[in-house]
Amino acid sequence: MSSDQDHLKETDTEARFEFKKEQKAAFVAEKGLTEETIRVISEDKDEPEWMLERRLRALKQFQKMPMPTDWPGQPDLSEVDVNKIVPYIRPDVEVRGGVDDWRDLPDDIKDTFDKLGIPEAEKNALSGVGAQYESEVVYQNMQERWEEKGVVFMNMDQAVQEHEDIVKEYFMTKCVPPSDNKFAALHGAIWSGGSFVYVPEDVTVEMPVQAYFRMNSEGMGQFEHTLIVAEKGSEVHYIEGCSAPKYSAFNLHSGGVEVFVGEDAHVQYSTVQNWSKNTYNLNTKRAIVEKGGRMEWISGSMGSKATMLYPASILKGRGASDNHITIAFAGEGQNIDTGAKVYHNAPETKSTIESKSISKDGGRTNYRGLVHIANGAKNSSTAVECDALMFDNESTSDTMPYMEINESTVDVAHEATVGKIGDEDIFYLQSRGLDDDDAKQMIVSGFIEPITEELPIEYAVELNRLVELEMEGSLG
Amino acid sequence: MSAQLPANLSAETVREISDARDEPEWLLEARLEALDALDELDLPDVIQTPGRRWTNLEALDFESLVDPLNQADETTRESPEGVVVLPFTEALPEYGDLIEERFGSVVDPETNYLTALSAALFTTGTFIYVPEGVDAEDVKIRAEMNSRSLFSHTLVVTEKSSSVTILEAIESGDSVDDARYFSNLVEIDAGENSYVQYGSLQNLDEETYTYSLKRADADTYSTVNWIEGNLGSRLTRSDIETELNGEASETKIVGAFFGHDDQHLDINARVWHKAENTTADLVTRGVLDDEARSVYEGVQDVGRDAWSTNSYQRENTLMLSDQSEADASPKLIINNHDTEASHAASVGQVDAEDLFYMVSRSIPEEQARNMLVEGFFVPVLEEIAVDEFRDDLEELIAARLR
Repeated sequence: MSSDQDHLKETDTEARFEFKKEQKAAFVAEKGLTEETIRVISEDKDEPEWMLERRLRALKQFQKMPMPTDWPGQPDLSEVDVNKIVPYIRPDVEVRGGVDDWRDLPDDIKDTFDKLGIPEAEKNALSGVGAQYESEVVYQNMQERWEEKGVVFMNMDQAVQEHEDIVKEYFMTKCVPPSDNKFAALHGAIWSGGSFVYVPEDVTVEMPVQAYFRMNSEGMGQFEHTLIVAEKGSEVHYIEGCSAPKYSAFNLHSGGVEVFVGEDAHVQYSTVQNWSKNTYNLNTKRAIVEKGGRMEWISGSMGSKATMLYPASILKGRGASDNHITIAFAGEGQNIDTGAKVYHNAPETKSTIESKSISKDGGRTNYRGLVHIANGAKNSSTAVECDALMFDNESTSDTMPYMEINESTVDVAHEATVGKIGDEDIFYLQSRGLDDDDAKQMIVSGFIEPITEELPIEYAVELNRLVELEMEGSLG
Repeated sequence: MSAQLPANLSAETVREISDARDEPEWLLEARLEALDALDELDLPDVIQTPGRRWTNLEALDFESLVDPLNQADETTRESPEGVVVLPFTEALPEYGDLIEERFGSVVDPETNYLTALSAALFTTGTFIYVPEGVDAEDVKIRAEMNSRSLFSHTLVVTEKSSSVTILEAIESGDSVDDARYFSNLVEIDAGENSYVQYGSLQNLDEETYTYSLKRADADTYSTVNWIEGNLGSRLTRSDIETELNGEASETKIVGAFFGHDDQHLDINARVWHKAENTTADLVTRGVLDDEARSVYEGVQDVGRDAWSTNSYQRENTLMLSDQSEADASPKLIINNHDTEASHAASVGQVDAEDLFYMVSRSIPEEQARNMLVEGFFVPVLEEIAVDEFRDDLEELIAARLR
């Protein structure tokens, strides 16, 4: 085992996420959401006028739109009252926009990310790291060699100031407009932090860049925005991780992700989601893929009380392709409603969606997905495969795919299975000397392998540990 | 939001229908109750995705489509020995108590606006009763629709350890020059260890809008197999549903559709596993030509107590034209882990290699394509027990391919 896995091995996984720091903030917004709050936040960030205007427009849309309540089987959102959350907390750090040396952070924040293993991972496997604490990015760094090639990896607030033209063009305009859904509108009004990634033409960023999002305070909302622009022929792998300690009141995470995949460019977006089980995770993620480009969405959803997330790819150019790999794990009290959306809007576009879900102890998982093939998207193909494992009859596993096919020269296939762990498989492993728990553990690891093998080893190990943690208790 | 109530629809209308048929008081009451409920009821659920509604039932103009007092049909009923196959008017004097007990017990008239409308206004349909231990083959009901609107209600009751195969066919009689509305409710109350195959062939004129809900309640060890062919109508909304309420009950829902021109077919197959050791198999095959559009929803719902369930679903659509559209949503709702469930759906063209092979054997391309389309329906045709039904369906498919 290589040294970079050791920090995962040595630390008690649960303790790594489940710790709380005293809130030491420089600025805490009032609870709730009013025009005044947004003006105050925008001013605190010293934003240009156009961004304030976009925020206010989004707020109006948010106020107009109804809560989604009529989706079949959707998570119960009745508890999610935006007026009860603190939408913005600026941690007490000296440098706005993030320091580039961990040692410059206050001890409690540095300690947080040490425990999460971020500086360690940065040394070993990443091209760059951004770390967000509450509403602001507190650490941001990228290896110099990428900077020299013109790669930009900075926090989103700073990008508004330093790359105003690009941000103005792409920010919630073409990809995820605030009108897309109620929580995209909320996000547009109150967003803070997140990452801006720009990869110039023909540059391949060999090691992934990572952003980590930590919510520490009770009852807050985190609304980071991620904008990735990958120019023609470029390649980048972006990883996001997130966690929070558990509180009795609800927390809200409503991120926005916009990815622009240029001609023949390749973007992989990986998420290891481990929010605490009082968090509502309501995100909007979307990519627009140009001719010959390739988008990959890899996500592991372990945490949160309720998740509603359907990363989307719009295959706009001829020959564009999409690959979704998603795993959801719902334990007691969790409702993980996730899936994928793909719009085939050009000829010869391809998509593959692979979804794995595990539900136990009364948890609910749902694959909800849409594949749309537009008239004229000739010779396109899509293959969707959903597999679900269930541990007991308290749990629920739903599969709700939607297919809209407007073109005849296509190849469309959808398959899904649901079942329990095979008794024969367990018997076989037991006959090889494993006990019941280990056998189940091993079968689950095998079940999610298609996901873990897409991730750098550190994250694969992390994902496996999280699953292991979820499995404990039920298997005792 | 319910649909606009037709102006010519009142308690008076309903009384007139019931009086003309000399119905017992309870049936009149049932009709009036359904009529009363209309205000509160919505149209059937339709699938929606961002920015799109798969079927637009709101556009139906009931005001002009529904003409309750001028319903007319020409129906023939063939009944093998030992089975009761009668229109309600003839069945009520002898089987009144049984009908009163079971009528509306499987399809709740207040399911939605269209079922209530149908229950309030039906003037045709059949009561089929299979007594205990009777094996009956080839019950045949052939109906012609001869009016602007027609509402039909069929009730099938099979007693313990009986079996029956049924064919119900509906087509348009007089030539049609205006829009029409056909509504068809079928309920099957399948007794313990009984077997029912209910085949249904809809080939109405393409000016007709068709709504049909067929639902079965399957008791212990019983089997209910549905087979449905949809070729006619301008717009078809068809729901076939089985509740597996008895232990070890089984169902198959087998469907074939073939749309052309601007036909819209909204086909739904749903099963609820509510007891142990139940089995379901849903098979739908459809072909679309010209600007036809199909919408399919298949639901396999496994309840908390449905231990040891087997549930399968396949839906395949062939598109013969670039202007057609196929929408599909096969759903799994699983609440018990002791389940083996799967579904698969596909959309595509006639297999290019198959076509190439046949052309290389000197079969003209069009003929080869037609043969492949006919072959595509074989898994459905094979399930049909009533020979006449199979022949009819094959003929209609062949005719559409010419």
